[in-house]
Amino acid sequence: MKKATLLVWAATTLLFSLMDQAAFAHGERATEPYIRTRTVHWYDVTWSTDALNVNDTVTVQGKFHLLNDWPDSVSLPNLVFLSNGSPGAVMTRVESYINEIPARQSTKGLIVGRDYDFKLVMKARKVGQWHLHPVMNIHGAGAVVGPGEWITVSGNEADFKDPLTTLTGNKIDDLQTFGVSRVQMWQFGFGLIAAVWILWWLRRPLIISRWLVVKKGREDLLITPMDDKVAAALLVLLAIVVLVGYTRTTSEFPELVPLQSGSLSTPPLPKPPHAVEIKFKRAEYDVPGRSMRLSVEMTNTSDQPVSVGEFTTANLRFINKSLPAAVAAVSSKFPKELVPRNGLVIDHPEPLAPGESRLVNLDTTDAAWEVERLVSFLSNVDSRMGGLLFFYDGKGNRSMSEVYGPIVPVFKKTI
Amino acid sequence: MTDNDQAILAAAEMSPRIARYSRTFDYLIVVIAAFLVWSVTHIHFLLFAGDWDFFIDWKDRQYWILITPIVSIMSAAAFQAIFWTLFRLPIGATASALLFLIGVWIVRYHAWEGMAYFPLSLVVPATGLVGAMALDFILVLSRSWVITAVFGGVIYGLSFFPTNWIYLAPYFQPAEHMGEMASVADIIGYVFPRSGTPEYIRIIERGTLRTFGDSANWVSAFFSAFVCMFAYSVFWLMGVVACTPKYIPVGYRFKELYGAKIDAGAL
Ligand SMILES: [Cu+2]
Repeated sequence: MKKATLLVWAATTLLFSLMDQAAFAHGERATEPYIRTRTVHWYDVTWSTDALNVNDTVTVQGKFHLLNDWPDSVSLPNLVFLSNGSPGAVMTRVESYINEIPARQSTKGLIVGRDYDFKLVMKARKVGQWHLHPVMNIHGAGAVVGPGEWITVSGNEADFKDPLTTLTGNKIDDLQTFGVSRVQMWQFGFGLIAAVWILWWLRRPLIISRWLVVKKGREDLLITPMDDKVAAALLVLLAIVVLVGYTRTTSEFPELVPLQSGSLSTPPLPKPPHAVEIKFKRAEYDVPGRSMRLSVEMTNTSDQPVSVGEFTTANLRFINKSLPAAVAAVSSKFPKELVPRNGLVIDHPEPLAPGESRLVNLDTTDAAWEVERLVSFLSNVDSRMGGLLFFYDGKGNRSMSEVYGPIVPVFKKTI
Repeated sequence: MTDNDQAILAAAEMSPRIARYSRTFDYLIVVIAAFLVWSVTHIHFLLFAGDWDFFIDWKDRQYWILITPIVSIMSAAAFQAIFWTLFRLPIGATASALLFLIGVWIVRYHAWEGMAYFPLSLVVPATGLVGAMALDFILVLSRSWVITAVFGGVIYGLSFFPTNWIYLAPYFQPAEHMGEMASVADIIGYVFPRSGTPEYIRIIERGTLRTFGDSANWVSAFFSAFVCMFAYSVFWLMGVVACTPKYIPVGYRFKELYGAKIDAGAL
């Protein structure tokens, strides 16, 4: 018996530790690049803190843009659920909103090409270092993970409490343990009756003897009038216990509600300022050079001169370091690994005058393309890429343009 | 040892020494059978009804009440058939439900709470134990699987909701969350995030039972009871089939093919 118990224990431990590791990586780099570069683009994401105590909250908020060049093989965002990526319930969810509407349930009818803002309030529960991401689950497509920040939780886990008062005025001390002892007490009671019944039979000569007696047709020996009485008595006992228990429960809790299901909808945010029209010319990924090069024709449709400040895709932010407004837009607290050091290099960096059109080559060279496992787009059936370009005028006003198109792997520089 | 025990041993033509060996064998078989019954019931249930029993915010008025008894009566019926047909032991259904319940609690503590940090309130299980005991009691009293299917099956399906409601009802108290009404179960499901389980994959009642108002639970329970009769019958018969092994006769060539040494004289 010991051996079997150990074996089962070892097997379940192994299985769940494997699941645990999968949960730790939480798939931030596992999703295919064409999904990460062409569906949900997270921007302006902030974390209110990166260190907190048990029971304190951290707010993650920002915006996301749904790219017009949404891949065919991915379901449209007709039903989504805003969630968070972290291993297990190490942080509890206090509140979540899409466009300030509670996102307790799923949100339907998001519009491709538009922007939404989101807010997640999380409360620290387990001590440790946790990578906290916003995550957009898209029905039929899976999870698109936003940028992640390491959050350090300290304090005493035993202090964690999540109290709640119901609408009928009942006070719940802690949601973690609520109702558990009631469940255990009743199930233990039923289990006790079951154990008595099983032992009632197991105490007799069992397997071989009973089998032989069955073969001889002497069933009368195997089930006695006493057994009938015990069975009938226990049946009546159970019926009474359940009837009384159920009736008392319904009078104890007269106001109960079913699980709430459904979805909510919200109009998108007003369109963000859009100063530059982009005509996509060519994109290539230089395999040995770990460099993505974009060739686009930009036309300034605003009345202010503007400059390219940032190219963002798959949570990576390539910043034009020669533009102070763009550099200033990256908070010192933003995760460093998501801001590649070489940034965005532009061959004609001078500001684009109102009405001017110019062919520009943008160069993003960084090992991040491989670290973030974004180069497997070379093996995709749909070899296209997408991202957002941010422009700044002289007053520091930001505007946003989409850029997307086919991407060609190269082994020799052509643009 | 009771008089009845001695009568059984006498009918089985067992000497006291053989009876002692037989008793040792009983203990071994009981332990092995317990693990077998536990694992088969557990796997069967995980495959067919897993999510409804995993989480408190999946225990809805429709699918949970309907599916959980139908799935769990299957292994109860099959083991009951085996224990009854071979040994006239009316404990198969109870053993199946009890061992499953114990196994579930081990996994809830060890894996769900211990390794994935889910609080027990999110993962409290329901049980078909009361219905399973009723199946065994009725089988003893009636000594007939057909009567057990009709009355036991109905009792099994009908009793699942009220028995579990005794201790799960508190989770369905209304509360307010972000300006919306939700049950405490909904809130527990929201507060303790399951990263890989977005809300929209919950398969729960979507308002189709609204015409029955407050009795929605009982509508599901009655329908479940009806289906349980048939599920019980099918799996009882499968259990009976499992008790009657048949061997396919094969010729010498076939045996040779599998390496058996055939004595030339026998041909
Ligand atoms: Cu992460």
